[in-house]
Amino acid sequence: MRYFLVLLASSYLGASLCVWGLSGLVPWFLLPDFPFLAIVFSGLFVPGIGGFLCALPPALFREITTSAPSWSMFLGSMALYFASREIGRRFHLRNEPALLSAVVSLLATESFSVLLLLSLSGARPFSFLWGAQEAVRIAWTSLIAVPLFLDLSVRWRRVRE
Amino acid sequence: MRSFFRNWWRLLVAVALLVAAIQIFVRPSKALERAEPVRAAGVVLFRPFYSVADFLRGGMSGIWSRYIALVGVSRENERLRKEVMDLRERLHETRDAVLENRRLKDLLRYSETVERRALGARVVGHDVSPWFRAIFLGTGSEAGIEDGMSVVTPYGAVGRIHKSHPGLSEVLLVTDGRFAADVMVERSRVRAIAEGVGGNFCRLKYVSPAHDVAVGDRIVFSGFDGSMPKGVLLGTVVSVDRPKESLFQKVKVQCAVNFQDVEEVMVILSRPSVPFRAGKE
Repeated sequence: MRYFLVLLASSYLGASLCVWGLSGLVPWFLLPDFPFLAIVFSGLFVPGIGGFLCALPPALFREITTSAPSWSMFLGSMALYFASREIGRRFHLRNEPALLSAVVSLLATESFSVLLLLSLSGARPFSFLWGAQEAVRIAWTSLIAVPLFLDLSVRWRRVRE
Repeated sequence: MRSFFRNWWRLLVAVALLVAAIQIFVRPSKALERAEPVRAAGVVLFRPFYSVADFLRGGMSGIWSRYIALVGVSRENERLRKEVMDLRERLHETRDAVLENRRLKDLLRYSETVERRALGARVVGHDVSPWFRAIFLGTGSEAGIEDGMSVVTPYGAVGRIHKSHPGLSEVLLVTDGRFAADVMVERSRVRAIAEGVGGNFCRLKYVSPAHDVAVGDRIVFSGFDGSMPKGVLLGTVVSVDRPKESLFQKVKVQCAVNFQDVEEVMVILSRPSVPFRAGKE
């Protein structure tokens, strides 16, 4: 329950601050995707049905704050949860490099999938500049994710012990 | 077989969800409209935050404009007075042209059939995802805003309403890759399709090399496709490329509105009339 509330609060406040507070002032590529981090964390570190329930609100927040076709972002986010759950089960993610590579690969895979989908549908709103900005966003979000995830997972382990 | 599913069911569920998401992305389903109350409930959750953020932003800009920015206001006042005088002169000049235009319109039986009503709305947020270009308005379906309505400013077009909820509307910007509309070059009346390319730019599609388009030309919406009102400014042509091997010119347009800075917009509450259909009805 404590975990659910922590992830709910962090994803809500993070999304709110980025979308309604800082979006006009700070460029999009410097705003970390907090709901994304909450979903990946619940997939990697929160076992069982608890992780699934923890991932639902951030997925809904992503759905509301992104202008994708209705419910596609929600389903994509839940797919992200199950993929990160699988990574969490198969690999031992207790050190920084492993965690960093897991988050970077998930961010890059998601970005590439949407990019491919948009390109196939005929839209091409992407340039080299966009690619560089997206690389900054992925690097920045991942660098924030590592200390956050390690700290939260250690606390989680302590609570369980 | 059973052990395979037991081992890999999470990954299989992830793939199934991804396929469903792609399907919805490509072909949005009507069946999902039943789930809209869930989304509306989610929007309600965010309402306190964006209302407070909007209030604080308004208060801060008020303090700035009422007190701090008053430094040098007399100089600006003088400049504005001169500008008003110039504009008045220009207005007198154009009044004749407007009257002539009206008479011609009557003569050709072109008349606007729908009286357009517009609603002012404040921008409360931006879509910060890397793939889509959208803004959020603090006014929604309770004020009569519906999907597909045009959003403009006095400087030019902003976009179209993508989704409207109670208390919140989502505007797909003209620079989003999914935006496309019928436009024309104001000077030469050459028609084309404008499509968003990100940044603050659009491109014009299907412009033949024989067509007259030059850097600096103003691009306005034609209104023929019914998506945006006729005559609304999209932007200015910044580059024209005529590749030898291509059938069409590559025309890049810089949008008239800077979407990062826009604070208030107008939502046109009726869809623009399509000229030839309106005449038949």
